[in-house]
Amino acid sequence: LANGSKIFHFGPCRISMSMNEIRAGFAAIKANIQGRDPIRTVSILSHPHSLHRIKSSEKCCIIHHLFNFYVDKVFKYCTTEDSYINRKISSIANSFLSIKRNLVQCHNQNMCKCGQESTEKFKQILTNYKGLNVTSAAMKSLGELDILLDWM
Amino acid sequence: GDALLPAPQNISIISTNMKHFLTWSPVTIQGETVRYSVEFQGEYEREYANESWIPICECSLITTTMCNMTEDISATVPYNLRVRAETGTRRSEWGTLKGFFNRITTYLTPPLMKIIADGYHLLVELEDMGPAFQFRVLYWRKGQESKMQQKIVKEISSTLHLDTMEAGTEYCVKAQTYVEAINRSSNFSEMQCVRAQG
Repeated sequence: LANGSKIFHFGPCRISMSMNEIRAGFAAIKANIQGRDPIRTVSILSHPHSLHRIKSSEKCCIIHHLFNFYVDKVFKYCTTEDSYINRKISSIANSFLSIKRNLVQCHNQNMCKCGQESTEKFKQILTNYKGLNVTSAAMKSLGELDILLDWM
Repeated sequence: GDALLPAPQNISIISTNMKHFLTWSPVTIQGETVRYSVEFQGEYEREYANESWIPICECSLITTTMCNMTEDISATVPYNLRVRAETGTRRSEWGTLKGFFNRITTYLTPPLMKIIADGYHLLVELEDMGPAFQFRVLYWRKGQESKMQQKIVKEISSTLHLDTMEAGTEYCVKAQTYVEAINRSSNFSEMQCVRAQG
């Protein structure tokens, strides 16, 4: 698809995501953000298991939870002293907010079934996040954004 | 203290084909160079980040009265935009764009298009308008509009082959752009027709 737009179908629910814009924004800051993460032995999204283990039937649920997670608990704690980095984070955050709005519609139309697996996985992600102080956890989560994008 | 500078007026956004420029009227102070700084605030900043504003370094302390916002307005959400004037020690209040700006309102122009009859081959060249743009090309044999055919072009390469024409016949083409990120299309370009050899 042009400009990397990806169409997700969850039942009759259809969500278009301009992935290239998000990827381009993240690629511009990835090295800087990951460089700020001193704790290399811990992962927020992949510990103890990768996102890839989640059944496709529960993908919508996890994506819905994760977009909420990034919007509510990550971007706003990642303000840096670098104006360029902040602009790119804003670009990604506003794109996530726009997509989150669409995901909420799917969720409200019961297209986003949450089974035990996705519920447990998201609980684990929150546990991993709370295991660090807010800024470290937020910065690490932002640094792992490509894990989420690649999985999607 | 020093009297405040007047805030910039006539702030507006010119958005065409997903390129967004903020413009304003100059503030003139006798014998002084007035500079301007621009900031933006997306929906995320309003709702989740304490209504914070983000400066644009390429448009900080500039003397021109225009700022390219394209790179920063990269989500389909409502944005607030503001600009202020400065001279040395004095600053104006912020002048804010009236109402939000959402890129969904960008003006989409029909694509520039050139069609070529290369022997019996109907070819088209389309303007490269950037990664956000797809093209819908319609083509038909003149007089047979009911048999109109369509090609969707997702990425611009060089020349696009549309059809093989029958000898001596005339074929017509028109095209429009489509932007997936905002789910909108332009009007169609003017129809162009060419005749196959023979």
